[in-house]
Amino acid sequence: MNTGNNYSESLPMDSSSTLRNALMLTLLIGATHSLMAALGLCLMFMVVTELFSLAMGVLRSRLVPATCLLASILLAATLTSCAELMAQVWSLQWQQHLGFYGALIALQCVVLEHTGFFQNGWRQRLRLNGLFATLMIALGLLRELIGNGALGNPLSWLSGATQTDWQGWVLMADGGLRLATLVPGGFILLGLLIAAWQAWRPTPTH
Amino acid sequence: MNRTSSIALVVLLAALGLGMTYFVQLGSAQRIKAEQRLIDSGHLLDLIAPDSYDNQPLEHPITIEATPLTNSTLLGGYLATRGDQPVAVLLRSQTPGYAGAIDLLIAVDANGRLLGVKTLKQLETPGLGAKIADWPNAWLRVFSGKSRTEPGDSGWALKKDQGQFDQIAGATITSRAVINAIHDALRYFDEHRQQLLGIPAHG
Repeated sequence: MNTGNNYSESLPMDSSSTLRNALMLTLLIGATHSLMAALGLCLMFMVVTELFSLAMGVLRSRLVPATCLLASILLAATLTSCAELMAQVWSLQWQQHLGFYGALIALQCVVLEHTGFFQNGWRQRLRLNGLFATLMIALGLLRELIGNGALGNPLSWLSGATQTDWQGWVLMADGGLRLATLVPGGFILLGLLIAAWQAWRPTPTH
Repeated sequence: MNRTSSIALVVLLAALGLGMTYFVQLGSAQRIKAEQRLIDSGHLLDLIAPDSYDNQPLEHPITIEATPLTNSTLLGGYLATRGDQPVAVLLRSQTPGYAGAIDLLIAVDANGRLLGVKTLKQLETPGLGAKIADWPNAWLRVFSGKSRTEPGDSGWALKKDQGQFDQIAGATITSRAVINAIHDALRYFDEHRQQLLGIPAHG
């Protein structure tokens, strides 16, 4: 398959993918205020969507299409609740840092199922998941660096150490541009990244 | 794959889902609560040296009804003891700052000396008054070791109010509010020392 030119053809923009992308935007902007939040959300998202797609694959063949939506709602709610509880047991601080964005994963699963995402080939799903993960981590890294001027220590979160006096890797001494960690700054940064991407890979003229 | 079997499957899924969530929640509630307690105590109790007390102060709050003082309100307190001797009292005080209420945690030792002050909640101007929320805090550390007698009652004010303390640059109202709240807490401690420390009155 040739790359580059048919990038825009392999991801058609229609109303269903608009809905899917709109929900992903909420997660992209809301949960990337720090690198650890972005990583945590990515991890939870991958796990929950994989389990969800496995279970729905089994159920879809046994269910009348009318009940598919109800089943997907129940399944998504169960998986997300259990994932949040498990995350709280693993590291309560990390999970609280995510705020309420973990619960949006359930909605995202239902929307993905409704628009037939899980019935695509695994290649396309992998590509979209990879894109989402890269974007989240890149945004999280940039927003934390620019917004706080320093990168917090990830290991201290996982080992539960509280209040180390180490300031993290300091990039800017005076605290950075606070706008970047707020939601408007996230939108601006995402827009800049998209602009840079489009400048680097020009869309083909028709 | 007919209608009834689908509906039965959905009902089964609902039951399984609810059951699984309930059991996971039941199994993890203890650990999550313990972890939350650990986080809270790490957050609130780092004012006093951890080896100077051996009880769980957060488990035994001192009952103070919301007492309005001159410039602030006392919301409650915790007592840290070692053996049976009271080591320190942590008072939670709320005072109106520049843009909203400031919640402070003020640690006083058994002799009335300040061990430290920490900001729990504030809504002050970022970059100016919000500097009280940094931790560790250079400005709040100035108060450690002070007491009601040192400086005297008239010394507990900003330098521009004929007192002894510098303000945070650009945040006079916030600084004044914090100093008044700390002074109120020290005065309250002095007046209710026996009740707070749990020492029986010697008649």
